[in-house]
This record gives sequence, C-alpha cells and structure tokens, in this order.
Amino acid sequence: MKAHKQPWIAPGVLPLLAPFFILFALFWLVPLIGGLRISMQSNTLLGEPEFVGLTHFKKVLGDRLFYLSLKNTALYTLGNLLLILPFATLLAVLLRRTWSRLRPLLSYALLLPALTPPIVLGVLFLLVFHGREGLLNQLFVTPFGLKPINWIKDPSWILPALVLQSTWRWTGFMAFFIGCGLEGLPRTTQEAASLDGAGPVRSFFAITLPQLRPVLIFCAAYLFVDAFAMFSGAYLLLGGSGGTANAGLLVVTYVYQTAFFPHNEFGTAAAMSLMTVPVLLLVCWGLFAFRPKAASRKAVLK
Amino acid sequence: MSRSRSLNRDRVIKRDRIMTGFITLLVCLIAIVFLYPYVWMLCASFKENREIYKPLQLLPKQWDLQYFKMLFSGEYFSFQGALGRSLTIAGIQALGATVIAAAAGYVFAHHRFRLAGACLFAALLVIIIPKQVMVLPLYAWLIKLGLNGQMAGVILPGLISGVGILFFSQVFRQIPKPLLESARMDGASESRVFASMLPLVMPALLTYFLVHFILASHEHLLPLLVLQEDDQRTLPLALSSLYGSSLRYPRAVIMAASSLAVLPSALLFALLYRQFRSALRDVLSS
Repeated sequence: MKAHKQPWIAPGVLPLLAPFFILFALFWLVPLIGGLRISMQSNTLLGEPEFVGLTHFKKVLGDRLFYLSLKNTALYTLGNLLLILPFATLLAVLLRRTWSRLRPLLSYALLLPALTPPIVLGVLFLLVFHGREGLLNQLFVTPFGLKPINWIKDPSWILPALVLQSTWRWTGFMAFFIGCGLEGLPRTTQEAASLDGAGPVRSFFAITLPQLRPVLIFCAAYLFVDAFAMFSGAYLLLGGSGGTANAGLLVVTYVYQTAFFPHNEFGTAAAMSLMTVPVLLLVCWGLFAFRPKAASRKAVLK
Repeated sequence: MSRSRSLNRDRVIKRDRIMTGFITLLVCLIAIVFLYPYVWMLCASFKENREIYKPLQLLPKQWDLQYFKMLFSGEYFSFQGALGRSLTIAGIQALGATVIAAAAGYVFAHHRFRLAGACLFAALLVIIIPKQVMVLPLYAWLIKLGLNGQMAGVILPGLISGVGILFFSQVFRQIPKPLLESARMDGASESRVFASMLPLVMPALLTYFLVHFILASHEHLLPLLVLQEDDQRTLPLALSSLYGSSLRYPRAVIMAASSLAVLPSALLFALLYRQFRSALRDVLSS
C-alpha cells in the first residue's frame, strides 16, 4: 500500500498546523473531557465536588423535559430545513432571471437578515408575532377572517413562529450560496437538455438539481448545526423560558436553564450536553452517508 | 421564410423580456417583505412608546432625534462601549480564525501525510459539535484558566473553525502545483510558501473573514456566561438586558440601538460583496 510510504506528518508543515491543534486541544478537547468529569460530580461549579458516578445521566434519561426539548429541537431543525432549502433554491433560480442591473441590489437586500444580530431579530419579531396587533396577524391572518393567532403564547404556534423567524433570517443567504453554485454549473448539459426537448421545469429537476447537490448538502449542514445550536432568538422571544407549556423549549436553552437559572444543577447540565453529542454525530453521519462517493468528497470540502 | 423566422425570434425576445420584468417584480416584492421590518425598525427609533405598538403605522409622527441622543448619552447603557467591545472581539477573532484556518487548509490541500485524515476528522468534529453545545464544560474550563470576565475568554475558543479549514483546503487546491514548486525551488520554508500564496487567495481570505466576523459579532451564549459585568457586555448582551429590564423606558432607544447594530456587518458586506461573490463561485463550482 502506498500509504505506508507517507510520513506521519509532512516535513515543514508543523508551524502551519500547530496553531489550530493547540487551540483545538485547549478549547475543544479539554472541555469535552472536563465535561465528562463534571458530569460525574455533584452539582457544584466551584468548591469541593463529590464523585457521583452516572447519577446525572440516569436523571437526565428519566427527565421528561429533556426528551421534550430534544423533540422540539428536532422539529425546529426539520422545519427549518424543509422550509428554507426549497424556498432558497426557488429564490436563487428566480434571482438569476431578474433584470441584471437590479440583481446585485436585490440579492443584497435579501441576505440582509443574515447580517442582523439574532437579538435584533428577536426584537423585530416580537413585533411581527405580537398577539393582536402583530404584523403577521394584521396582514395575513385577520384579513382572511381567521382568529388572530397568539404566536408567542399559544403552545401550538411557538415552534412555527421560531421557524418563521429563522426562515426569514437564512433564506436570502442560502439563496445567495445556491446562486453562486448555479453560476458555476456548466451550460453545456443544460443546452443539450433543451435541444432534446426538455422544458425548463424538467431540466431543472433532472439536471440542475443533481448538480447542485454538493451546495445543497453544505447548506443543509449549515442550517442543521445552526438550528441545533439555536439559543439567541428563542432567548429573547421567550425571555429565556421554554414558552407556554415549554412548547418552545430547545436543547441549548434547557441546558442553560438547568445549569444556571432556575435550577443551578451544573453536573446534570453537563451530562445533558454530553448526551446530545451522540445524537449530533448520528444525524450528521446520516446526512453524509446518503450520497454517492464522488459527490461526497466535494460536499465535505464545500 | 427568413422574415418569418426573424419575426419569431422577435416574439421570443419579447416574451423573455416580459418574463424578466415579471420575475423582477416578484423578487422585488419578496425583497420588500424581507426589508419591511428594517425600515420599520429605523422609523420606530423616532417613535413614542404608544406609537411603536402599531406595526402597520410605518412613519413616525415627527422625526425627533432625541432617542438617538439618549442612546449616545449612555443613560441606559454605554452604547459606544458595547459596540466597541463587540467590534474588537469580532475583529480579532475573525482575523485570527482566518489566518489559522488558511494555514491548516493550505497544508491539507498540498500535502499528503498519514495524520491528515485524523486532522480533517478533528475539523469535522468542530463543525458537528459547536461550542454552544459544549458551552458548560467550556465555561468551567475558562474559569479554571482565569479567563472568566476577560475578552480573551470569548476570543480564544472562537479561533477554532472547522468550516474555515474545509473552505481553505478547497481554496488552496485551486492554486496550480507548478506555482508552488517554483516558490519551493528558491529554498523557502513551507510557512514562507504559504505566506507568498496569500495575495493570490485574497477574495477567499476576505470572504472568510467577513463570515466569521458576522457570526462572532452575533454571538450570545458564551459572552453571556463569560462577560457578566455591565462594563464588559458586548452589544447583543447589552441589547437583550435592556430589552428585558422594564417596560417603562422609551422603546425607541432599543430600536435606535438595533438599527445601528446592523450597520457594521451590513457596510462591511456591501464593501466586500464582489470579492465574496467571486470567491464563493470559485469554491462552489470546483
């Protein structure tokens, strides 16, 4: 095998790699291992901790709210992906057919929400989602003769509200990425298809979409991680709580609640965050496993 | 014959124009929906509390700069201080992360060695398990290191970027080997060769800097834990604590602060828009 002839590390590259690995070890690996230790100690951040074994893990496994927060996060993440990706793809295709002089301005306007601090989004969205006077209700709900929706207080609408907020935030940005991907596609296959008599819709689904796969997988991975780590938007919209009946309780929020306010159970919270790690690994592995070999390397490397 | 064909072509062109016009209009409408909250927010920074809770009313009764003055006077929180800290943290973090990720990305793009796979795996792990998920142990560790309450406590963990490494390993792959060989011929060390390649990938460097800068300046959770004192707060923290504080103060102040908070990222992005586009096109199409 060729691999045996390769050195463990290429000559002269150590100074280039070292900064990353020192930081990786210090601020990723050590905290992970430290987290394992904390999760087996009694609930104190400072002072003398006691070894308690797997007590915290057992407690988390029996915690109904932990499962609820996992479920909410999964729904939230899924909602994000299912709403943002198709909408962003459509927007990217449309953008390419707009009047060319307005195009840069339009795509900039569309991705402005992504440049906005989530806290500001939260402030804006309190207004959009506000009970009776909210924008969404006044423009899209009451005019159709429906009862105004209390987006933030009604448990069945909290998650949709969070998903809408995130959709508004990321769609333009993802459309920008997908648009860049579209520009890089070879024209020849497209032309061949239209010569063969394929309509624009057919050639989009048969040719463009498969070619966009790497970009789309990158976008999906980005959205997935962002959704899973979601904290800021929900924090402001729901005041750090899980909302009514904890319908908007997300994993990161719950970990934060458990560790600091109102529970102060640091060890339990550490166990909780460690238990999300296998979940994340599994899902990402699933995301990357479902595709052919050739596309896979490209997508990993963006 | 030829006349009818050219007529036909004219018709196709005309149809295309109408289509373009129609699509432009549609996208404009979407853009308006996306932008309306911003315009509203800017207008709201001139409104009294009573006016603010009417989202359909866009323009304020009077354009009074008093709320901006209140904001800058530091009556509620030191806006300049918070903004300055946010920009400092995001700037240093983005600069450092860009250089570190570019260096590692360069190595992965142009060298084959046995540990490379393990290294890339580490980069993937950093992406899959972001620091928001591991924030508790990280915070406990930062306390032990004596970095609690220090800007460095937020900056240092943010220097690691898995996405950056994958991005740059793709970017550097596009530099032709002969170019590298000729640089090595002169007996330059790998670090030297890397440094000499930097001007060639300027758009990519700027792009990554920008993305990291934006994400870093948005960060909320880690700063919330590490920077707890009033005079340490970054802009997102200051905004959220002002928002939660009470209902009495003029809401226009927070609208003014929010409007200004969007500016740095938006301006930077507008300036670098072209570079961003070309860098992404190169990376995504390869």
